[in-house]
Amino acid sequence: MTRLASILEARNITYTAVAQHARLQPRTVRQLATGETPIDNVAVGTVRRIASALSVPLADLLEPDLPFPGDGSLSRGARLSAAIREVMWSATPVPYPSPVERDEPDEIASLDGEDFFTDMPVIDARRG
Amino acid sequence: MPVAAEVYRPINVMDELSSGDIAYLSLARTRLAGETPPGDEFDPAGRIPAYPRPALVPLPHGREVAIDAMFALVVTHSCEIDRQRNLEVTAEHFDCRLTVAPIVSEPAVRLVAPGGEGRTVSWAAIEANGPVASLYLPPIDDVSTLAPDVDPLPWPRSFADLRGLTTVSRGMVLADRLCSLTPEYLVTLQRQLARFFTWRDLARHELVEALVGRRVVGAIPLNARGDRLRVALTADDGSSVTVEVRAR
Repeated sequence: MTRLASILEARNITYTAVAQHARLQPRTVRQLATGETPIDNVAVGTVRRIASALSVPLADLLEPDLPFPGDGSLSRGARLSAAIREVMWSATPVPYPSPVERDEPDEIASLDGEDFFTDMPVIDARRG
Repeated sequence: MPVAAEVYRPINVMDELSSGDIAYLSLARTRLAGETPPGDEFDPAGRIPAYPRPALVPLPHGREVAIDAMFALVVTHSCEIDRQRNLEVTAEHFDCRLTVAPIVSEPAVRLVAPGGEGRTVSWAAIEANGPVASLYLPPIDDVSTLAPDVDPLPWPRSFADLRGLTTVSRGMVLADRLCSLTPEYLVTLQRQLARFFTWRDLARHELVEALVGRRVVGAIPLNARGDRLRVALTADDGSSVTVEVRAR
């Protein structure tokens, strides 16, 4: 969930109400709140008007920066910790094509590796 | 259903690269500028859910590179990773590429079934490694038990998505590895890779019926189990089905 969505939910405010106060289209507020449009991608004036309408500092609406892989300004542990928080526990779930193609049980999937690879050349998965 | 203790093992930052390593990486996707695969139904911005803000690098002729920062699983076989060293190829002439599969976590997505978003998608099938295109990765209560320099955080249940395989450099994987898969679960990874690339499924009834009137030009025995034998049949029009026959 984005920070904007969290504020709206905590205060029980609708997109339309914020949009009216901020003189924006409700769709704009919705897209920012759902994360469909990243708040970093819109004009500062737009964010400022929403912040003003909600009476919060502008910085409260900005999403935390995601550390990039290999960012030398952070330790490895700090990079990975931030990445787990921001990437694996993403606040804004989006639709994604499922890998599940059908509901029926798949007897091949239930085979253990030994059965599955019967008659195939030995594959050494246990490299030390 | 596999649990974390059976699936993950800690790694030392000095350990050699291995199949099953899980790392935080920059993954690049080339696409037509503004392209939105797999379609507006899923994500109008064409984003990978684990990382909602890809960096975009424009290319000539209406193309671009979208770069996603996300966790990924190394699927290149360990023997292949070692092969050039074993052949005494000098390090500067190593092929630096490793194949990785992006990791998609449950909190990042709403899974959409082939029939549309209204259909419920069960994670039970993913947990059982039923789909050919995914490898289930169970939740971890505290990742610091695997990587002591990382904060004590939970890791959500997730899956490695074999549909998103791409290549990255060895150096990038080395820099931000979190943990790796156990040797036992690597066998499951290899089984999923074999299924994904070579062996989709047994043919459904209507596919077998569609063979009527065609000439079978190839029959490749795949696997015997008990008194049953699976055979891949190729028709003269190039289509192929896998059937199971019972030995008499």
